[in-house]
Amino acid sequence: MSDPIEQKTTATHVADSKEIPLIQGPSMSIRVKVTISFSLFFILSAIIIGWSYGILTKLEHKIEFLEISGKYMVEIQQARRFEKNYLLYSTNLDDALTSLKKADAIVTSNSDKIEKILSQTHYTTMVSYMEKYHNQLLLVSRVENNRNRELLVPQLRKFGSQMVDFGSELVQKEQNSVKRMFLLARRIPLYFMSALFILMTFVLFFLMRQLIVTLKRFMDYTVRIGEGDFSPILWKRKYRDEFSQLAEAFNHMTRELDHNRQVIVESQKLRAIGTLVAGVAHELNNPLNNTLLTASMLTEDFKTLSDEEKLEMVDDIVNETERSRLIVKNLLDFAREGETQRTLLEVDKIVRESTRLVANQVKLAKVNLIVKSEKDLPLIYGDQQKLKQVFVNLILNALDALETRGTGGDISINVKHGDRPDRVFITVHDNGPGIPEDIQDRIFDPFFTTKALNKGTGLGLSVSRGIIVKLGGKIRLDSAPGKGTTFIISLPTSGGGKLI
Amino acid sequence: MSKPLEVLLLDDEPIVGKRLKPAIEKIGCVVEVFEDPIKAVERMDQKSFDILVTDIRMEGMDGLQVLDHVQKNSPRTKVIMITGYAKMDLAREAMGQGVFDFIAKPFRPDDLRKIILKAAKALGVPMDFPSQDYESTEP
Repeated sequence: MSDPIEQKTTATHVADSKEIPLIQGPSMSIRVKVTISFSLFFILSAIIIGWSYGILTKLEHKIEFLEISGKYMVEIQQARRFEKNYLLYSTNLDDALTSLKKADAIVTSNSDKIEKILSQTHYTTMVSYMEKYHNQLLLVSRVENNRNRELLVPQLRKFGSQMVDFGSELVQKEQNSVKRMFLLARRIPLYFMSALFILMTFVLFFLMRQLIVTLKRFMDYTVRIGEGDFSPILWKRKYRDEFSQLAEAFNHMTRELDHNRQVIVESQKLRAIGTLVAGVAHELNNPLNNTLLTASMLTEDFKTLSDEEKLEMVDDIVNETERSRLIVKNLLDFAREGETQRTLLEVDKIVRESTRLVANQVKLAKVNLIVKSEKDLPLIYGDQQKLKQVFVNLILNALDALETRGTGGDISINVKHGDRPDRVFITVHDNGPGIPEDIQDRIFDPFFTTKALNKGTGLGLSVSRGIIVKLGGKIRLDSAPGKGTTFIISLPTSGGGKLI
Repeated sequence: MSKPLEVLLLDDEPIVGKRLKPAIEKIGCVVEVFEDPIKAVERMDQKSFDILVTDIRMEGMDGLQVLDHVQKNSPRTKVIMITGYAKMDLAREAMGQGVFDFIAKPFRPDDLRKIILKAAKALGVPMDFPSQDYESTEP
């Protein structure tokens, strides 16, 4: 009881080892790829938004600074105007001091905002210029005589212009900076668009290739499997993903299908053997009869026969026994169960051996079966049992077709060179009623049959096509009502044309 | 016994004729052997035989066609059919046409000799054959 389990485990083991190409490579699922792509989009957007937020904040500060410094500039320029009036017309100097105080108040109350924009040194310089001017102004206001005042005035002018120049220079600089930042802020959406476009193209191309192309490949696989090609999918992708799992599932399915097909092929063969056995038994009766008659007469007339006559009779017995042996061997070769064994074969020989298997059916139906083959045909690499099964199926079908038109008819089989040097063609033609066009498409479908309920299983042609496809060949039909039916088989040669 | 029975033996297997000819001659028949049914039919057109032993399945012309021909031209001839295997529908069809008896391959020479003796009796020329083996087994 442990045997079947043991076998099963071994089978799974073997199956697993076939899948090695699928398992190789690091795992990178499509889900991960999609997540990465979307994360990239998110990160890009976040960076751009953060950047533009920063720029706008900085811009806000600069504009605030420009407002403050504008007020400050008004006040210090006002102070200088009062200073000029005092010097020219000897007006009150207190107005200048008041303006300067206002300016100082503006700077002091907004010191944090100003410091954000200007560096500490610039701020200190600005304040120190203001203080120097303020102190000089106080000195000037205190002196009484004109001569002493004349001495202080150049210094006052110098400090005043220093203060104003420095301020206006800073303002100018910041104005330029604001302009540049506005320009940048206007360009950010454009940069963003371009980066987004590049990223999207890349992701789209990548995912497209991953999804669409792979899906297309799987569609091709299903077509291939539908046609009976059950060779496993070989995976060439770098990463293991959902598709490799799908491919594994496909391979598992095709293995099961292949196994089932083998079962169907075997059972169809058994049915064909059943048909052949009646004919073969009959064929066997001839040599058996000859042997029995000869042996009986040899016994009966043993005393009266000459030695030569006896020898001739014994020879006959040997030959007829040999003939029986060949008949049985031919059937056994065909019937023997076993794994597909591919060897180098001569197609024409296989065809002739197949016709021998059906010889009695052919004789009984009074049909002329002719096999013609061209010379120097290349060898093929195939399973002779399976190929015989195909030819037996085709000949038995042809016999059934000919039967519908009464007795007689012709079947001709031609083995010839293919259209390419690495191909051999075998055509099986009958001059029966032909196959109506509307069912020609379905003729290779499993369980499709035109025969009576208990006559055909509808598996013959489907199994034949399966066998031919597995050997790398093709089978097609050329038929029209009233013109007979021709099946054309094309098989690859062993040397791929090198033999020629 | 006045005149020996004339037998035509037709089978496309040469050994059948070669071995059966002396076997049937032993019981006092005159035997002509043919392998080609067409030649056999030609011969029967020239001469009327008492007994025809023919295989059913042959190339060119099968046993039934030969039977048909004989029944038309020589209704008195007793026909014995050799069949490869008992295809009952074919046998019944042939029986309807008045076949004397069937013999299925493989058979012993004695099996055929017994049927021939039976046919001789039916023809009204009973043969007395030295060995009583053949008669004793008759039911």
